[in-house]
Amino acid sequence: MGTPKAALEWHGSTLLRRTTGILARVTGGPVLVVRAPGQELPALPRQVDVVEDPAEGLGPVQGIAAGLAALTGRAEVAFVSSTDMPFLHPAFVRRVLRAAADGADVGLPLARGYPQPLAAAYRVTLAPAAARLVKEQRLRPAFLFEECRLTRLDEAALRADPVLAALDPDLDSVVNVNSPDDYAAARARPAPEITVQRFGTLADGHRGPQPVRAATVAGAAAAAGVALDGHVVAALNGDQITRDGETPLAAGDTVFFLSADAGG
Amino acid sequence: MAPGGYFGRALVVDVGTASATSILPLHEEVLRGYLGGAGLGAWLMHRLAPPGVDPLGERAPLAFVFSPLVGTPLTTSAKFAVVAKSPLTGMLNDALSSSHFAISGKLTGHDAIVVRGACDRPSVLLVDGDGARLEDAADLWGLPAAQAEARLRDRLGRGWRAAAIGPAGERQVRYATISHDGRHAGRGGLGAVLGAKRLKAVAVRAATKVAPADPGAVLAAARDLRARSFGPATAKYRELGTLANLLAFNAISALPTRNFQAATFAGAPRLAAEELAELRTVARNSCASCTIGCEHIYSGGGKTMRVEYENVFALGPMCGVSDPDAVLAASALCDELGLDTISAGGTIAWAMECAERGLIGAPWLRFGDASALMRALTEIAAREGLGALLAEGSRRAAEQVGGGSSEFAPHVKGLELPGYEPRTMHAMALGLAVNSRGADHNRSGAYEADLSGDLDRFAGGDAQVAAAIETEDRAAVMDSLILCKFLRGVFREPFAEWAPLLSAVTGWDTDGAELRATARRIVLAKRAFNIREGWQSGDDWLPGRLLSEPVETGSGRVAALTPERLRAMIDGYYAARGLDSAGRPAPADLAGLGLR
Repeated sequence: MGTPKAALEWHGSTLLRRTTGILARVTGGPVLVVRAPGQELPALPRQVDVVEDPAEGLGPVQGIAAGLAALTGRAEVAFVSSTDMPFLHPAFVRRVLRAAADGADVGLPLARGYPQPLAAAYRVTLAPAAARLVKEQRLRPAFLFEECRLTRLDEAALRADPVLAALDPDLDSVVNVNSPDDYAAARARPAPEITVQRFGTLADGHRGPQPVRAATVAGAAAAAGVALDGHVVAALNGDQITRDGETPLAAGDTVFFLSADAGG
Repeated sequence: MAPGGYFGRALVVDVGTASATSILPLHEEVLRGYLGGAGLGAWLMHRLAPPGVDPLGERAPLAFVFSPLVGTPLTTSAKFAVVAKSPLTGMLNDALSSSHFAISGKLTGHDAIVVRGACDRPSVLLVDGDGARLEDAADLWGLPAAQAEARLRDRLGRGWRAAAIGPAGERQVRYATISHDGRHAGRGGLGAVLGAKRLKAVAVRAATKVAPADPGAVLAAARDLRARSFGPATAKYRELGTLANLLAFNAISALPTRNFQAATFAGAPRLAAEELAELRTVARNSCASCTIGCEHIYSGGGKTMRVEYENVFALGPMCGVSDPDAVLAASALCDELGLDTISAGGTIAWAMECAERGLIGAPWLRFGDASALMRALTEIAAREGLGALLAEGSRRAAEQVGGGSSEFAPHVKGLELPGYEPRTMHAMALGLAVNSRGADHNRSGAYEADLSGDLDRFAGGDAQVAAAIETEDRAAVMDSLILCKFLRGVFREPFAEWAPLLSAVTGWDTDGAELRATARRIVLAKRAFNIREGWQSGDDWLPGRLLSEPVETGSGRVAALTPERLRAMIDGYYAARGLDSAGRPAPADLAGLGLR
């Protein structure tokens, strides 16, 4: 790429910020970034934890081992994602995690023609096995899959989820950017279709839901003509309230803009 | 010589023996330690309320308490506190109101007017430069407060201002209000305390003046504050009023519905300010000495009325009523009868659920039935039929009805919950649980933290504890200075910015740190009064329903508040407040409060 993927610009944010934001929305649990030794990362919310790979260049199982180890005692299942999937959708993450919730050690999507070990669910108790494989120089994820209860999720299984089928029908969640051309093509796509709604004095004659395209809360605010300043907050799908303009959005999201002085 | 802005004395009137008035000196250390309003009221109740006093008994004192800023040109300062032991909660209660009564009352030459005893017939208490005296009020008994005020104005003349009770107060409904000029000291049933004294009204007439220590500084501060009061921090109140909360709260699943059985209400759009403002607003108005102008006067059912979020929440979604005409009419009826809308709506919503479960024999009372709502309000104020039970409030009524109905009685310490869903607002859940007045959004504004985007509103923890303490402290000072909380958004460093306002009026060298200490003192003094009156640590808690029944949000998320999470937050609150594990202040802290 010539540029670290984590720091690639994405609609005023970065790819890494987007990925961590999508995962935070779905899991509600800790979000962890595993970086190479000494790697510089773009700005992240304070809730995101960062750990370092003990060694560089050992491939994905090394990263998976480090991440799962750091989550031991804090979560039962982790969604493991690379940082270069700009269209990762919360509904996709939710569907894959459900495979592990149903008893599997690994929920492995088979989408767009390939298995997707870096868009998969892993039981945290796999950390020692992953670490052992690294020590044995068996560095491909397939070796880990041989040692656990694996649930494969083919495209039919994924699309059987009606929410995922509606919001990510082409399974673009697993599209990654491996070259400048990939990145340029992905960046040229329109931002996801979302809905905004303004309340109270912010409505200013624009009551009711309004469809717009935006990849972040800041983008949604701009599209709705709202200044995301100290007097305005956003409620993403009516749940978490945020002032962080880089909060990522995905197709089908609704953003409510409210007065920050609500109450009283 | 009293400090600037003060007279240094309270007038104490025993209305059982009309001539028995006395002056209670208020020394500078008391005024500086408790300021005025709710703070000074707490000090007065420690001093004048006999331990264990029956709030509706003759010996119970009720105080109209003014504050150092009243009478200055500082915007929103024309406020007064009514303070007594609540007949609804059995705890200390202060209820604030805004009107010219505050200015005229203070300019009788007193920082507080305290009433105790009971008249042998319906009466009105007059206070002016000639002292205090009683007049017969037989002709006023039974009238709505507004009509009683109007008759008194005709009888006494233009210079008089009267705070009056309605029929509910006369019949000692435990959540009756005291009103002046359409504004209400609403929560906690202080209208019942006045009714028990057979006082229809207290009328005051200005007789003197009070000078600030530095008039030039006060004027400059007033100009600055006035300009800031027109800014974006108050736009919501100015343009749509507090009812703007309704649709937004519905969107974020914070709108208690059908007695907290849901957090969203399908009928909310019909009741929204955005809808009603276009169709029904007939005027916008300000309280005395206020530049915000939050009052939105609506028309409905052939009447006009002031409408706030809490009225509409309590009489609308809480009771499942979505017809705006019905909700506005119910709100107007509460004003006429002198009922606190939040407690009335909460108690009726509880009764609707009891009726639907077959726990009470009132088949006519159903969620969503507007005519049943009106009938219930009328019966409550008359204490007739089911109203005799409901006039006691949801806590006492549930204790009588039994059948597990206490689990869903929507109160804390006996005070019905306001329109904030604790399961989706964990900072507010803590604030509601620990506040000395009971479930109250004006003494604990912790919802600000939930709505700030700075913390996870579904996962209460240390940040929520800090937020609840900070907003409770701010409220303690604002309610004592007194400044309207609708101004709170214009202050970036509230304590540091309030200090020079107080200094300009009083001449004291107050700073922000001193006001923070004052806030803590006032909060502890309130808690100490409650402990004296029988508070137990289990009183700092939420209704069982909120801790055992998750609620679904609009997005399908399941939101819950577990007893363990609430317990952890309360323990954190106690520790941060310097209380012991049972929520009691340390003896040394109590000794430092200067209370008797």
